[in-house]
Amino acid sequence: MSEAEIKPHAGAVKFTMLLSGLVFVLMMALGLIMRAAQGEFIELDPALFYQILTAHGAGMVGVAGLSGAAIMWYFVGRYVQLSAAMYWAFLGLFLLGVVLILSAIFLGEFGGAWTFLFPLPAIAGGAWEPWAAATFILGYVSIGVGFLLYYLAIGYPVIKRYGGLARALGWHVVFAGADPADGPPPTIIAAAAVTVFNTLGTVVGAAVLVASLVHLLVPGFAVDALLAKNAIYFFGHVFINASIYMAVIAVYEIVPEYTGRPWKSSRPFIIAWSAILLFVMAVYPHHLQQDVVMPGWILVMGQVVSYLNGVPLLAVTAFSLGVYLHGSKARWDLGLSLLVLGVGGWSIGAIPAIIDGMLVVNKVMHNTQWVPGHFHIYLLLGEVAMSFGFMAWLVRKGQASEAGMSTLDKATFGTYLVGAAGFTMVFLISGALSVPRRWAVHLPGWILQDRIGTLFAALVVLSTLALVLKYAVGLGRGQRS
Amino acid sequence: MTRTLFAVLSAVLFSGCVVFRGELEADPVTHMLLQLPALALAGVLLLLATDLRFVKLPAYFANAITLVAVFAVFFWMLPRYIDASLINPFVEFAKFLTLPTLVGASLALAWRQAHPFLRGFLKANAISMLGVLGFLYIHAPLRICNSYLVSDQQRLGYGFLIAAIAVSLAWTFPLFFPSPSETGASQSKTNKVTV
Repeated sequence: MSEAEIKPHAGAVKFTMLLSGLVFVLMMALGLIMRAAQGEFIELDPALFYQILTAHGAGMVGVAGLSGAAIMWYFVGRYVQLSAAMYWAFLGLFLLGVVLILSAIFLGEFGGAWTFLFPLPAIAGGAWEPWAAATFILGYVSIGVGFLLYYLAIGYPVIKRYGGLARALGWHVVFAGADPADGPPPTIIAAAAVTVFNTLGTVVGAAVLVASLVHLLVPGFAVDALLAKNAIYFFGHVFINASIYMAVIAVYEIVPEYTGRPWKSSRPFIIAWSAILLFVMAVYPHHLQQDVVMPGWILVMGQVVSYLNGVPLLAVTAFSLGVYLHGSKARWDLGLSLLVLGVGGWSIGAIPAIIDGMLVVNKVMHNTQWVPGHFHIYLLLGEVAMSFGFMAWLVRKGQASEAGMSTLDKATFGTYLVGAAGFTMVFLISGALSVPRRWAVHLPGWILQDRIGTLFAALVVLSTLALVLKYAVGLGRGQRS
Repeated sequence: MTRTLFAVLSAVLFSGCVVFRGELEADPVTHMLLQLPALALAGVLLLLATDLRFVKLPAYFANAITLVAVFAVFFWMLPRYIDASLINPFVEFAKFLTLPTLVGASLALAWRQAHPFLRGFLKANAISMLGVLGFLYIHAPLRICNSYLVSDQQRLGYGFLIAAIAVSLAWTFPLFFPSPSETGASQSKTNKVTV
């Protein structure tokens, strides 16, 4: 592929990834502060802890979505004409949302967590004013509208070029017996699936956000709390998973440059993505298994779909990656290493999620640090690793197959791997020891794990800073995207 | 022949809305979800009965006219003006005038020529607004319209929700299975494009 094919949007994507990298470091620094406070390395007012927790959660989810969206935009642009104006509109709305959210948290002292669970934003007990909660929600709305524009800008040309979402998902290959060679490329299949489920997720999220906003302004308007919780977790689960499903497109597009083996849209691949389309939406009740008033069949569905949800990922993407790499003459560099780590971490991170998705386990584990252990593996060793792999590839020297791994690259990668693996394992072990999550102040018996976790977190922050600096230097030198 | 049919249908719809005004406006569900759309549809049919339907508009003008229609819809979604149309003959007259012209005829004239992103945005906006209106009317702790009971507005809320679901399905299905004329899909699905 020639540079001319992707050049028009490469600048916007590179800028977005630079922003993403900086926000990743900042949000990780906030995480480090929280772990250091729990480990009593530093003193932190509990009210400020919950504000930082809110910023860390909202910021990480947001920037995971932003970096995933930039990756998908970059590679979908290889197949269809995309509107640069729509991308800038998306980015502008996203940044407006960030300003509103940060203002709500650090000026308005909002500390209701990124999940804005109804009716918590409105019953702050004096911790924050209604305007702060309303500003936080408006920030989410701005980001949500931005994402809807983004999916409109992706969906329209994909539908035009591939003859509808059904064909873009490859259903004519699976259900009408068409030759897989006539199917769309993996990037388009993934983009079509994400466009469908994250549009639905965002719309549901927008509905509950508007309901929460109206409730804040006119408390007489109240929505059913259980319905609101279902809507929030449907939106939250779909959105954060969409960030990973968008980022994995980097693996489909970049790894073949190293292996010389194109990633194919086989029938199992197409079926897997159609399954993902359903499972990612049907699995959200595993977040509500402690809500005993939920209908039993929905909770059972959450558990069963949790089992099934890992199959398309583990059996198709991870297995295929192994097959493509096995026996290839790929020369490992920082980009490839991080991308492979991303798929590995994503796959491993699914396992504690499946365990927590079991009703009998969930009853005792869900409010422990087991859960942040799961999603930090998913993100730190999954989406974030893929994003930095994409960034390293964007500023690599020469062709992918020629680039090697310098000593500094090896040190950075090794530090990131050890730091992230250690950090997440401490969360899992603490969870297994019933250490609660989201507590600002910890009992003396939990301090040791907190301190070990803090040290691993420091390694993650340092190595991530090195990754961002390498990317910034690479951009500065004007190296090839 | 077709033009005459459109003109007759438009006249029938408009006349029906005028003649059965009392019956339709007695219930907010038929007022908002039957009479108002019928008036807009009368405007669509009226325009289709004329040569205006063949007019090629500049892109910016098509977008602007589409937005005029949308803002007219927004206006008639405000409970205050629905209420006013029941007690103020001037507002009632404005309703019968603006819905066929500013909404129906404007959309018939400009919708297909408006930018696809604008159309997509407005469709998404229409669905979410129907949903939000459904929520507001069902949960409102007070009477929003002086002319209708709380129980009436709750029925209207459910009507909006049903409309939101119906419109979602009607607009989503063609995204999966569009007609060939709508897509212009190329033969080769895997070739990368040069932009």
